[in-house]
Amino acid sequence: MIVADRKPLEEILKHVAGCGRILVLGCGGCVTVCASGGDRQAEHLAAQLRLAAKGQGRAVEVTVKTPTRQCDREFLEPLRADIGPADAVISLACGVGVQLLAEVFEAKPVYPALNTTFMGAHTGPGTWTENCRGCGQCVLAETAGVCPVARCAKSLVNGACGGTNKGKCEVSKEIDCAWYLIYKRLKARGDLSFLRAEREPLDWGKSSSGIRRTLVHPELTDTVPASAPAAPKS
Amino acid sequence: MSKFRDALASGKFTFTGEIGPPKGTNVGPVIEEAVHYLKDCCAAVNVTDIQTAVMRMSSLAACRMLVEHGVEPVLQMVTRDRNRLALQSDLLGAAALGIENVLALTGDHTTMGDHKEAKPVYDLDSVGLLQAMRKLESGTDLGRTMKGEPNALDGTPRFFKGCVVTPCAEEVEPQIIKLEKKVAAGAEFVQTQAVYDPKAFEKFMKSIQHIKVPVLVGIVLLKNAGMAKYMNANVPGVVVPKDIVKRLADADKKEVKKVSVQIAGELIRDMKGMCQGAHIMPLGWDKEIPNVIAASGA
Amino acid sequence: MPGRQLTSAEYARLAGSGALIEAEWAPCRSACPVHADVRAYLDLIGRGKFREALDVIREVLPFPGACGRICHHPCEQDCRRNDVDQPAAIRDLKRFVTERDYPEGQKFRKPVQDRAPVAVVGAGPSGLTAALDLAKLGYRPTVFDRSAAGGGLLYSAVPAYRLPRKVLQADVDAILAQGVELKLGVEVGGALTIDALRSQGFKAVVIAVGLSRSRGLPIPGADAQGVELALPFLASADSSGPRFAGKSVVVVGGGNVAVDVARTAIRLGAVRVQMACLENEKEQPAWAWERHEAAEEEVATLHRLGPKRIVVRDGRVAGIEFKAVTAVFDEQGRFSPKYDESKLTTLDCDVVIFAIGQESDLSLARGTDVKVDERGRLVFDRNTARTSAQDVFACGEVVTGPGSAVEAVASGHRAARAVHQFLTGAPINLAESLPPKVEKIAPATVNRLLKATRAAMPTVGAAERRRNFAEFELGLDEAAAMQEARRCMSCASGPFVLTDKCAACLTCRRVCPFEIPEVKEIADISSALCQGCGICASECPANAIVMASYGPDAVQKEVGAALAVLRPDRLRIVVFSCGHHAPATRWGGSEAARPAAVAKEIYLPSMSRLSAADILAAFEAGADGVAILECTSGACRYPTVDQRLRRRVDLARQLLVEAGIDGARLSLAVGGAGDPAAASKAVAQVAERAARQTHKHG
Ligand SMILES: Cc1cc2nc3c(=O)[nH]c(=O)nc-3n(C[C@H](O)[C@H](O)[C@H](O)COP(=O)(O)OP(=O)(O)OC[C@H]3O[C@@H](n4cnc5c(N)ncnc54)[C@H](O)[C@@H]3O)c2cc1C
Ligand code: SF4
Ligand code: SF4
Ligand code: SF4
Repeated sequence: MIVADRKPLEEILKHVAGCGRILVLGCGGCVTVCASGGDRQAEHLAAQLRLAAKGQGRAVEVTVKTPTRQCDREFLEPLRADIGPADAVISLACGVGVQLLAEVFEAKPVYPALNTTFMGAHTGPGTWTENCRGCGQCVLAETAGVCPVARCAKSLVNGACGGTNKGKCEVSKEIDCAWYLIYKRLKARGDLSFLRAEREPLDWGKSSSGIRRTLVHPELTDTVPASAPAAPKS
Repeated sequence: MSKFRDALASGKFTFTGEIGPPKGTNVGPVIEEAVHYLKDCCAAVNVTDIQTAVMRMSSLAACRMLVEHGVEPVLQMVTRDRNRLALQSDLLGAAALGIENVLALTGDHTTMGDHKEAKPVYDLDSVGLLQAMRKLESGTDLGRTMKGEPNALDGTPRFFKGCVVTPCAEEVEPQIIKLEKKVAAGAEFVQTQAVYDPKAFEKFMKSIQHIKVPVLVGIVLLKNAGMAKYMNANVPGVVVPKDIVKRLADADKKEVKKVSVQIAGELIRDMKGMCQGAHIMPLGWDKEIPNVIAASGA
Repeated sequence: MPGRQLTSAEYARLAGSGALIEAEWAPCRSACPVHADVRAYLDLIGRGKFREALDVIREVLPFPGACGRICHHPCEQDCRRNDVDQPAAIRDLKRFVTERDYPEGQKFRKPVQDRAPVAVVGAGPSGLTAALDLAKLGYRPTVFDRSAAGGGLLYSAVPAYRLPRKVLQADVDAILAQGVELKLGVEVGGALTIDALRSQGFKAVVIAVGLSRSRGLPIPGADAQGVELALPFLASADSSGPRFAGKSVVVVGGGNVAVDVARTAIRLGAVRVQMACLENEKEQPAWAWERHEAAEEEVATLHRLGPKRIVVRDGRVAGIEFKAVTAVFDEQGRFSPKYDESKLTTLDCDVVIFAIGQESDLSLARGTDVKVDERGRLVFDRNTARTSAQDVFACGEVVTGPGSAVEAVASGHRAARAVHQFLTGAPINLAESLPPKVEKIAPATVNRLLKATRAAMPTVGAAERRRNFAEFELGLDEAAAMQEARRCMSCASGPFVLTDKCAACLTCRRVCPFEIPEVKEIADISSALCQGCGICASECPANAIVMASYGPDAVQKEVGAALAVLRPDRLRIVVFSCGHHAPATRWGGSEAARPAAVAKEIYLPSMSRLSAADILAAFEAGADGVAILECTSGACRYPTVDQRLRRRVDLARQLLVEAGIDGARLSLAVGGAGDPAAASKAVAQVAERAARQTHKHG
């Protein structure tokens, strides 16, 4: 799941200072699950916007809507009527949703209310933790299901650095050393051969630090396959 | 050409020292100290690379200055700050500047230093850096031509490649596995994290008998009992035994330095037979290195 | 309702309609013959809203005072708290709200009555209920009763130590105040026949004459002096003085009436009272608690005895002889006693009172088109509540047989509906489809619930009470009543999940102190397990959980109402308080401690219902400050609420500060709900900070 975090109100306010009508859009997808951008959080933001405006002696009309998700056009189209009269749209979706919104409603200023942070899992009450960085060359098969790219502070591929300390990462006693976990898990399975294998450096070109990536499933595209049989003659 | 390589090859117990470049351009004093105190007793002097992620003058530049002053440097190279393009480029540069000894390190994380906002690179890890050096030595690099073929270098460097290990780590097996990988990737010498417990070190050395590269045991001068305690609590893989802490604690204030030197010397004396050399990290007490060596009886 | 789930569209349609809270009934309500909304009134009592609670009761029960004392409370038998510890003391709480003095008094409004006159015969619970319902519908009911007061057997038979007459009279007066006319001392069937009623213009007649005759037994000696029948005995009992002084009494019968007779006999000075019944201890029909109370008063009960003859000496009772009973019921469980005539027991006594059942007196039907069958029972159609005559209906024990007051009331409601349908020309249809009742709590959940001991009803000790007719149950005091009301688990008042909104995020599951929500494709919250705290509803990030009662809309409505009573040109502070721990009443007691007119309190069923959004909404609605009075730690019946509330307040404060509002305008007084001084201090602090920022004054 994509995890995101609310921006400070101050930052959001900068963008909508002069707006009389604001549409606040929650997202019913990942950011609801991580309780940052759901309908409830959208309402919190709406209340803040109204209160802040009131404090400055201004009136602002804030409407809240929360589509199923913002990362698909089909869910955005029905918002057209709500978006029309708004001076600005504030989206509590991840960066994906914000961009798609800005693209579908090109003429409308769309502002993000969240900082999209990572892909992660719920790891404790009210807590989500990064687990994957979308490196494009998943190594989990070799690392006992613990991602060294996302979970090792240095994304090392050959084992722990010298900073590993009592199972924790050198950067913080709160963070597990990924390589310690990998070692422990492989050891428990009685096979350290993956750990011993000398690994080539990662291909960062495939990762998020590379160029914008695209996934294509040919069977779902509209293109006519080269191998398509000719239409039967009538 | 590396005197350091030759010293180890000769089987003689070999010393290395360490300096850190300044935060600023005033590099004179540190070079001077190296010339003064380390040149004669050390086969080579490590130059740290933005140690603990606190920004300092480039290691490469300082290494070159040592060369110019007749001190053989060991260029420390961390993978934190440069991607593979920059690392390889600097390696070629080092070779061209007459620097042959390179110690491959991952480097402390940026968040540990004084530029916490810096983007940590870690394109390669220490094994990857060793692999890169080996590639360069073989006349190519980590990249490929447009056709997908190996690049050809115009002029091939030669390095004396080193790596590090933590002998007294809590969990020693992964350390050994990683050391094996480093050696397989081309490491020719090993400098260890600080060791204060000869027994533990002996055990470690036995467990890496199969690794046939010279090992220089790491010696960090303990400036006082507080530092020893701090290291016990915070520095991974470093265990200062109680009696050493006590000796420092009991020492008269004026005598502490002497006691510290004495301790370091005794440690080297005790471990001399187990390894091929000692890497002394004086942390500013550069002047004491000759005294340590003297105290070790080597 | 399996899987309490709705779409947003369905919810929008149903919200505010009461459909959600009516989707399932708590078993107490299903068991109650008049289906009183127990859950609702216990909740109100728990929040100190006693008057409102009484109104809820009165909606369906015109005898709250009487039933608050003598109801056999089937609600309690079915209360789901039985599975946890003991049932909620529903009856005692009902009594409690009828005993308060309300500043507005017990004034009742007379409805507009422009419909036909209807005659009701019998002013017992059934007749008066039918009449009241009809009055409320606009009819003009007149109730005729031959006795000297309204209330039927409650007046003439139920002993005063259980039901003081002035309590009953208050119920009757309330009914009369709502447009019911009562004519006492009028026997219908004598001078005033049913036909006469018709010719007087009554468009319908309701027969509610009850079972007014006690049965006797035609055994030898039954006509001796000293043999009495239950009803006449009871009717004269409390005014008859210690007429059994020094006497020994045997009461024949094992039902509730027999117990009343026995206990009354004790109070009349009898030295010895023995109840003799056919049944053994298990079979004996009287309620266990009544038997227990009788035993405390030294009434002895002898089982498996069938009366054979009265021993008569000089025309007076000297004893009674019994034959042994070998079985009371046959294989089919029908009443069919078998005796062993060889085993005889004789009890010496001076008085024998038969309390073996009542029958109706239907002489008023004689010679009319209201037919009586060969067994002497009114010809009656249960489905229409009608007798053989088109315009004559019947209700109460005369048609249901012996039962309880509240059952008679229920029967009265049916008759009123039938009369209304008849008089409006509609086909009579009394069929009701009741909501399903919520299922039993699973043991796994029971184990997570906090146990809470039922409030004990204070009583006068047996030694003392057996000497007089003063009421022996003393009633709960306010603190005990509120605490007791809080034991109610508000069954099935909890959440519905909006199917199109739920993102299956698991938050509800994770925050529920009882781990009730199951999240598969979406959340499913079992009403049988849910405790209705509403924690989940206040946290669900998708706003996908709505509460069947007291959701955010209710909170906001109360905020609006609170602000409306405060002057807008002055400071307006909204105080959210745990209704259970800082009842409205307690503030009242320390009016002095309360900061001037600037604050208005809102009492929540639990602080778990207050979300961060509710706090923001209060500021948006115009509150200059918000003070929150938390319960004393650990006092809440829902675990974790105190901690959760603090986190919510922290969140709300952070959001407010970001929006430019001084964080000190929101304060949380930990434990403030139990401590008026701490509470008013918190309110004063908020007021002070609010004044500083808003430049308004108190
Ligand atoms: C001793 C005793 C104890 C009881 N204890 C309880 C208890 O603890 N809890 C409980 O719930 N129930 C109790 N009951 C039962 C309860 O009293 C009855 O269920 C209830 O009163 C029945 O109400 P009703 O309206 O059907 O008739 P009734 O209450 O019997 O009222 C009938 C009325 O009709 C009048 N009447 C009869 N014929 C005529 C006529 N021809 N003309 C004019 N008026 C007429 C009578 O005077 C009487 O007032 C008790 C009953 C008895 C006898
Ligand atoms: S707990 Fe309350 S709502 Fe539930 S059955 Fe008992 S009285 Fe009724
Ligand atoms: S908390 Fe999550 S799982 Fe539960 S109802 Fe709300 S969205 Fe669904
Ligand atoms: S949190 Fe409360 S309301 Fe929600 S399911 Fe659990 S008990 Fe019921």
